[in-house]
Amino acid sequence: MAVTVRQETPFVVLDEADRIVGVGPHAESQFGPLLGASLWECFPGSKPLFKPHYDSARRSAEPVEFVQFYDGNVARVRAVPVGEGRLELQWEQLARLDTLTLDSLSETLDEALELLGDPGPGNGLRLRVIQGGSP
Amino acid sequence: MSEQTLDTLRSSAPYAYVVLDDDDRIVHLSRAFHDTRGRGVGHVFWDHLPEAREIYGPHLAEARDTGRPVEALIFYAGRLKRLLAIPGGDGLAVHIENLVELDVTSLETLTRSLQRLDAELADRACEQLGRRSHASLRALP
Repeated sequence: MAVTVRQETPFVVLDEADRIVGVGPHAESQFGPLLGASLWECFPGSKPLFKPHYDSARRSAEPVEFVQFYDGNVARVRAVPVGEGRLELQWEQLARLDTLTLDSLSETLDEALELLGDPGPGNGLRLRVIQGGSP
Repeated sequence: MSEQTLDTLRSSAPYAYVVLDDDDRIVHLSRAFHDTRGRGVGHVFWDHLPEAREIYGPHLAEARDTGRPVEALIFYAGRLKRLLAIPGGDGLAVHIENLVELDVTSLETLTRSLQRLDAELADRACEQLGRRSHASLRALP
């Protein structure tokens, strides 16, 4: 059972310079060819969101798990140190922002903020936008 | 002005612009519209735009019903757009200008773009209030 879960969970392996040196089949089908590329070049704008967590995992040599918003998705990410500065990253998509209409945006933004556990400044803003923007 | 010249002018309009017949079939479109949406003459406007009919449709219907131009702000597919529908002899001209695009890269970029969207809506609300004020002032003796 554990093996099945492992195979289905998308993962990549990073070297100490955050270059992708290993790719699970589900990661490749999700994002296309990744092997050999710099993680930060593959996912523009993601470095400030993710790197502090990866640094923390490397420093502590302990797995780090966190929930992050990036590119319209909320994902639970697990960074596992596997030796020599390498990290294995596994992730599970929890929610996706649907920006098709204001209604779908409102609904999925609620869900995303709830998953992130911090309503932050977006909450009040969101309500103003939705109320003012109804066509 | 010849029909060909008119067509050339229409096609080179820098904004997205389509002319629809009574069945919402595209009878003309600007290059900007074709380039960004990849649809051509003869296609029904809604065919590749899920849920767009519910959002655009009432404004287009109002323009057709009243025979007058209708302007509206709409939100569709991550963008706040200014829609202008102008009924004419050769169909309903629909101009679409993107005003704000949501940037979903991070919560920070999303918040910033929601703020821009909010400001645009607030500006529009002020403009509408201004128009109403002018109208009432003009009505005074």
